[in-house]
Amino acid sequence: MHGTRFQPGRRRVLAASAGLSIAALAGCIGGTDEEDDPEVEDYQYDREEPDDEDAATGGSLTFLQSEERDDDYDPVHTFDSYSQQVVNLLFDSLYEWTDELELEPHIATDFPEEERDGERWLFEIRDDAEFHNGDPVTAEDCTVMFTQTIEEESQLITQYDMVEDVEHIDDHSFQVDLEHPFGPWEMMTMGVPAIPREHREDVGPDEFNEDPVGCGPFQWADYQPGEYVVVERWDDYWGEPMPYLEEIEFRHTPDDSSRISQILAGDVDVIEEIPSGAWDEVDEADDVRLHIGESPSYMYLAFNCNEGETTDPDVRRAVAHSFSLRDFVEDEMGVTADPLVSPIPEITDEGGGWEFPMDEWEESMPDYDPDEAEALLDEAGVPDDWQPIILAPEGGSREALAERIAVRLEEVGYGAHVNAVGFGTLAEQSRTGNADDYEMYLLGWTGGPDPDAYYYNLLHESGEELTQGHFYEGQGEFHDLIEDARTSTDQDERREMYVDITEEIIEYLPMLPTHTEHNTLAAGEHVRDLHVHPEVSTNPRFVSDYGNVWLDE
Amino acid sequence: MGLLRYTIVRLLQAIPVLIGVSIITFALANLAPGDPVRLMLAGAEVDEELVRQIEAQYGLDRPLHERYLTYMEGLVQGDLGYSIHRDRPVADLVAQRLGPTLLLVLSAYAFAVVTAIPLGILAAKRRNEAADHVSRIVALFGVSTPSFWIGIMLIIVFAIQLGWLPAAGLVYPWLGPEGYDWIDTWPELLYQTVRHLLLPTIALGTLQMATLMRVERTQMVDSLHAEHVKLARAYGVPERTILRKHAFRPAQLPIVTIVGLNLSTALGGAVLIEYVFDIPGLGRLFFEAIQGLDYQLIVGVTMIIATVFVIGVVITDISYAYIDPRVTYGERE
Repeated sequence: MHGTRFQPGRRRVLAASAGLSIAALAGCIGGTDEEDDPEVEDYQYDREEPDDEDAATGGSLTFLQSEERDDDYDPVHTFDSYSQQVVNLLFDSLYEWTDELELEPHIATDFPEEERDGERWLFEIRDDAEFHNGDPVTAEDCTVMFTQTIEEESQLITQYDMVEDVEHIDDHSFQVDLEHPFGPWEMMTMGVPAIPREHREDVGPDEFNEDPVGCGPFQWADYQPGEYVVVERWDDYWGEPMPYLEEIEFRHTPDDSSRISQILAGDVDVIEEIPSGAWDEVDEADDVRLHIGESPSYMYLAFNCNEGETTDPDVRRAVAHSFSLRDFVEDEMGVTADPLVSPIPEITDEGGGWEFPMDEWEESMPDYDPDEAEALLDEAGVPDDWQPIILAPEGGSREALAERIAVRLEEVGYGAHVNAVGFGTLAEQSRTGNADDYEMYLLGWTGGPDPDAYYYNLLHESGEELTQGHFYEGQGEFHDLIEDARTSTDQDERREMYVDITEEIIEYLPMLPTHTEHNTLAAGEHVRDLHVHPEVSTNPRFVSDYGNVWLDE
Repeated sequence: MGLLRYTIVRLLQAIPVLIGVSIITFALANLAPGDPVRLMLAGAEVDEELVRQIEAQYGLDRPLHERYLTYMEGLVQGDLGYSIHRDRPVADLVAQRLGPTLLLVLSAYAFAVVTAIPLGILAAKRRNEAADHVSRIVALFGVSTPSFWIGIMLIIVFAIQLGWLPAAGLVYPWLGPEGYDWIDTWPELLYQTVRHLLLPTIALGTLQMATLMRVERTQMVDSLHAEHVKLARAYGVPERTILRKHAFRPAQLPIVTIVGLNLSTALGGAVLIEYVFDIPGLGRLFFEAIQGLDYQLIVGVTMIIATVFVIGVVITDISYAYIDPRVTYGERE
């Protein structure tokens, strides 16, 4: 997985957990008036190209991020999605992702040639790309991520540690040898940015981080650590299209209410992450438009398979039967989320061309059936006073979901303690495997167009105590399948493995897929041609084939 | 004991207090659940060797008391430690965030003092009249309404509905017009600073204002009925002179005490106000540090807040001694 693109780390999870505080629910199941329910499509807009390009060229836009940037602008070390939002404007990449998460060549002339059964990849790059300092983009510049993340022991090292050797054939072509075939290679690592190797070596990584030179449509302009970053249009940009915007200023406001206030007051031009609780308020505001786009985010309820009552699959199934996931998502999240039937969000399935049997999986998912839940718990011999601990991030949809599950379990004669804690405590406590800490926990993960990002990190045994705390041992070859699926380069073969893995997940429920949260933006009406991208780290895509933001003022 | 010596003694007395704070904070932060290295690496596939390397690099593999002594050794040299999470020295982070918080808290104090004293005097002079009743209602509102709620209401009315003032953020007068390309001159910079500061100042200062106003009123009522004031009035001293010379000054002693001791309340309130108004100050940094279990930062910020508070108390004591000549700077009588 290319971490700079699909950031699954704490920043993303933190960002996702920063939703507006929603009061604990009594859990009404009432139906909703579907005619009035807004749809995702209502908040997506056609291209809005200006009539007069000259008049539209210029203007400064302020974008309010939902988390503080780590202020790492050297792509070799950028680990957080919010610094990456800046980096993506400064650095162009070998390949880019469309708004449907499909890969297309950018600095590369075409897709790479594959040799040695997926252990060698040959790339060719165009000859007209240039960096902001006027240097041409060469093959050596396109391999910095493959070599330096390993050499400098960057936090991104695990995404490239299968790279065995890089060889520059000439200025415009190079080959990468892998230690072993790696199925997600194409989808997860090819969007690497070009970095001026010589310049970076001359100034050193620290100085490069504070004055980065890339080959993207915007160049570095001003910076105040912890406060703001300003990038300005690079008028000699080699690529297309040339941005309309003259300048973009990035600021951050972690508090949802404050972000909402600032867009409603017209203090800023664009904000990200609109909490579902504030959706209607912003929707009704004059001069503000909401934007929404599907994302590869995955929220789940994991069960402790190491200790306690939830080691019994029937108990896990009973919990899944005790509440209505669909009603919860519709009631609590509205248009900002969709229920899930597997760890693979729809956009991952479609973008990767996997064509997984989602309908069949939906049929197999346990639906709301309190009688069945009660019967299963009785048959499993669960003590009458069973009150499992559900760990959840404080505030937001996952705490609300935990509360709802607790209420529903109470209705079938049991109950639960919801332990909503800060992310620091949660990350530590949810991996102990100790039933006194939790029997269930709610967390999220953002992967990308390859299922490996979800399955290997969240389900493989190597992630026990690190990236997962369910300790599910699997039936037979479960973990081998996950490992085989990442070393195979045959997509059909991989698909079959993922189908088998998913069917086992649905049957034995080490984790219950709950919902995917969409990426949302709110912008002043004067901000035109704005579109949401599936990746948080690319949002909003200010300049692309499908959108070039301009200000109608 | 002279005022200077008294000041030095009071400052020296503050040292054991700060050492006590450091021991408690250091121990609590380190005993809290959550391994800082694993938390930092969460999301990546972590191997134990890497965790051990990072722990050794930051001395986290050493016993708690050794780490504390090393920390204190650095602290006396102005080194507040290193935030692994943010990959920055804590001192840098604090330096960056202290200014906005001090600006906010001092503005709130200025607002409270400037409004509370005249209103308190007015209420005392017009005791049991309309002005007094109004001041009582205002005080009741100020004391019983949470500052964050006042902040939210101010934003809704003055920023969102009327659009007169910004909903969030601060403009720092020390950053200069070049730091804000939309500001051309220093007067405009100061104007923008005031515009941005007005709502959070009122939100944070209302509680202080309400408390001070009622204390001022009570003290002035007492003062205006003191024997020496009655005597002055009998001698025909003009009412304005009585108010200014004979009643006002003795009534200010409790005000000085409250201002000093309420510093911790104001700093606590600033955390919420910084969140509501999106001000990147020390309070918000502290909150974020706790959320992320960034224990180096927690300890560093706690030490700074404790130091500011202790200095506030010392200044209060010194002011008290200065205003009231009867204070003997601790000498035996």
